[in-house]
Amino acid sequence: MYALSDVRKVFGNDAPALDGVSLTVGRGEHVAFIGPSGAGKTTLFRLLNLTLRPTAGVLLIDGVDVAALDGAGLRRARRRIGTIYQQHNLVGRLRVVHNVLAGNLGRWSLSTAVASLMRPRAADAARALEQVGIPEKLWARTDELSGGQQQRVAIARVLLQDPDVILADEPVSSVDPSLALTIVTLLRDLSHQSRKTLLVNLHSVELALGYFPRIVGVREGRIAFDLAPDEVTPELLGALYAGHSDATRQLDRIHDGIGSYGTACRPLPGFSK
Amino acid sequence: MSDTRATAGVGGAHWAWWTVAGFAALVAWSAHGTRVDVGALLGAEGLGQMTAYVAGLFPPDVSPPTLRDAALGAFETFAISFVGSVLAVGLGFSLALVASRTVLYRGILYAGERLAPAGRAGRIGIYALARGSLNALRTIPEILWALIFVFIVGLGPFAGVLALGVHTAGVLGKLFAEVIEDIDPRPIEALQATGASRLAIIVYGILPQAAPQFLSYALYRWEVNIRAAAVMGFVGAGGLGQRIHVAISLFHEHQLLTLLLAIYVIVTVVDALSAYLRARLL
Amino acid sequence: MVLAISLREAGVDPRLLVQSDAVGNAARFVRGMFPPALGVDFLGLLVRPVIETIQISLMGTTIAVVIGFPLGLLATASLMWRGALHERTPVARRALLGGVPYGLARALLSVFRAIPEYVWAFMFVRAVGLGPFPAVLALGVAYGGMLGKVYSEILEGVDSRPIEALRAAGASRAAIVLYGLVPSALPHLVSYTLYRWECAIRAAAILGFVGAGGIGQQLALSMRMFQFDEVLTELAVLFALVAAVDFVSGRIRGRLV
Repeated sequence: MYALSDVRKVFGNDAPALDGVSLTVGRGEHVAFIGPSGAGKTTLFRLLNLTLRPTAGVLLIDGVDVAALDGAGLRRARRRIGTIYQQHNLVGRLRVVHNVLAGNLGRWSLSTAVASLMRPRAADAARALEQVGIPEKLWARTDELSGGQQQRVAIARVLLQDPDVILADEPVSSVDPSLALTIVTLLRDLSHQSRKTLLVNLHSVELALGYFPRIVGVREGRIAFDLAPDEVTPELLGALYAGHSDATRQLDRIHDGIGSYGTACRPLPGFSK
Repeated sequence: MSDTRATAGVGGAHWAWWTVAGFAALVAWSAHGTRVDVGALLGAEGLGQMTAYVAGLFPPDVSPPTLRDAALGAFETFAISFVGSVLAVGLGFSLALVASRTVLYRGILYAGERLAPAGRAGRIGIYALARGSLNALRTIPEILWALIFVFIVGLGPFAGVLALGVHTAGVLGKLFAEVIEDIDPRPIEALQATGASRLAIIVYGILPQAAPQFLSYALYRWEVNIRAAAVMGFVGAGGLGQRIHVAISLFHEHQLLTLLLAIYVIVTVVDALSAYLRARLL
Repeated sequence: MVLAISLREAGVDPRLLVQSDAVGNAARFVRGMFPPALGVDFLGLLVRPVIETIQISLMGTTIAVVIGFPLGLLATASLMWRGALHERTPVARRALLGGVPYGLARALLSVFRAIPEYVWAFMFVRAVGLGPFPAVLALGVAYGGMLGKVYSEILEGVDSRPIEALRAAGASRAAIVLYGLVPSALPHLVSYTLYRWECAIRAAAILGFVGAGGIGQQLALSMRMFQFDEVLTELAVLFALVAAVDFVSGRIRGRLV
């Protein structure tokens, strides 16, 4: 699906946000990205969904170099990648139905898009909302919804887009722990059913280790490790979060084995109880 | 005034005193230059003349022909302001789109795509051209636009509509462009990530976010335009102005008062309508 | 619906725009503007009107303050009849000495600002003759109406606690206005007045169209004589003038607020 080699991203005159990133992700894989805030995970995701372009290095999607794509080609490629954001990135003033149907914008002609604002095909949106568990919010105004509900709307938008890859950038950072668990399982099950590739950027190490078969650690713009969860040792995690304020909190929780996610997380090898 | 100005402490008393002194000198200079003669105006003779003039306006002419004429004029003025404002919104919005850097060549919509240098230069050129025309439209006062359009399409309210439309398009276009450049880019990023075309992003992401402010500015300009529409007629562009011009020129004082009352009524009605719409829609 | 009726009523006819003499006239107008008139004589002729325009805007704004400030005070409800200052005033007294002047001031302000300055100017031209003086009066009256309304809104919004304290200390109403109300509202009052001055320079320019002096009078003259090359120069001058006033006023306002 994705093949990155030696990718580098620099903003203005700052130090590189990403440097020497090489990574391959196969079709249908589920991968969690972890690391301290400011490590470059969000930048990586914005490169992967083609909102940014690399400063140097090669980014291939299904063997196609994205640097070679023109405007139309870029739009076609983006259509196959669905993104869920931490801040939901919904148009608050539009009704839920329009935000969900916006998933179709990559396929629709302009006239269809305009027509949909007047007479939306509500049935499609309703089906997607059913899947994410809030069918009753179809006609609500989006900015009147709670954070968790808005995140579900964002997921419904991606369902309608029906992409090959789902990128979820910190999808649960702004919701409470029990809801976070629901949303992560929802994402995992939905992409499992339709054999989509799922890349998730997670603030919570616990969720990552508990629910994803492949863990990529990112620190200071570089990939620190790329392992199965049972190979991720406390030492690796300690190094990954070293010097960051959230490090001790993350690690203590795992050491204690009383994570916010209760017994749903399987016990992790290598951690003394 | 001067002592309160100083006690407000705007940047120190010293600075304030110099400002006040300079300002007083400017006013004295202006009074001299504009030949303002307060003595004559507020002296017994001046006041007497004014009172006589105002008294001469009364009673307003309420004969049916005058009333009908005033009503027609008021309605025409309303129509000019309304159509002119609608035209201005359409024209101003189209120009605002190409006068927004974030729509044309930079910001989140262009972070993932490398514009060819020639294409980018072309877009910057379009932007500069749009900004320049907005400035030009805005700088030329409505009344001069009215003269120009009377010259082009002949006498009548249509020239007034065009004048208001074009001038206000310049004002609204600049305001709209600022709103567009200022909206939250995050939903735009998300829409773009679905592969939406730029036009679709404008319709789904930019317009819904900008609409309330667009509407608020448009209503505000409509309030300005009803007043402007009332004077368009002075240069032959229809509405109440034309009738007032005649009434003043021919010393028809009683009719003048009726027409002034008509202006008062129509302006008040539009202000109320605008306030109502603002409360209803925003 | 409203739009359809309005379109008919306003005589909107796009065909008028594309018919041959409209296009011809527009072309004549645009062609006529180039090259702009830059002769020394002509430029010299513009100096006086430019100065006059500035003077009209300054003087007009001054008169507007003179008219607007007292009327604005009278139109301030919290000063005249409502709120903490009047809790112990008898109702009849409150209505007669507060309510009546308040109503009158509001009505007067509303009439002043509903009649466009352009109409005022034309009436004053009739009353006092051609020249800059009627423009000053027109600006003074129309902008006095606007300033008065906004002043009263600003004063209404002033924090009432310091005023109650002054009241408790036994201050008279005039003292309250001078020491409590005006100082705390002053930056806003001055800032809005400056903003009006920016508008006044634009207005001063167009009032000349009815013979009330300033650059507008030259502009109207050139337009009526079909001297479009002069029109372009005058527009450029007007643009520079407006930009300069915006700049100066913006700087002062930036220091104030």
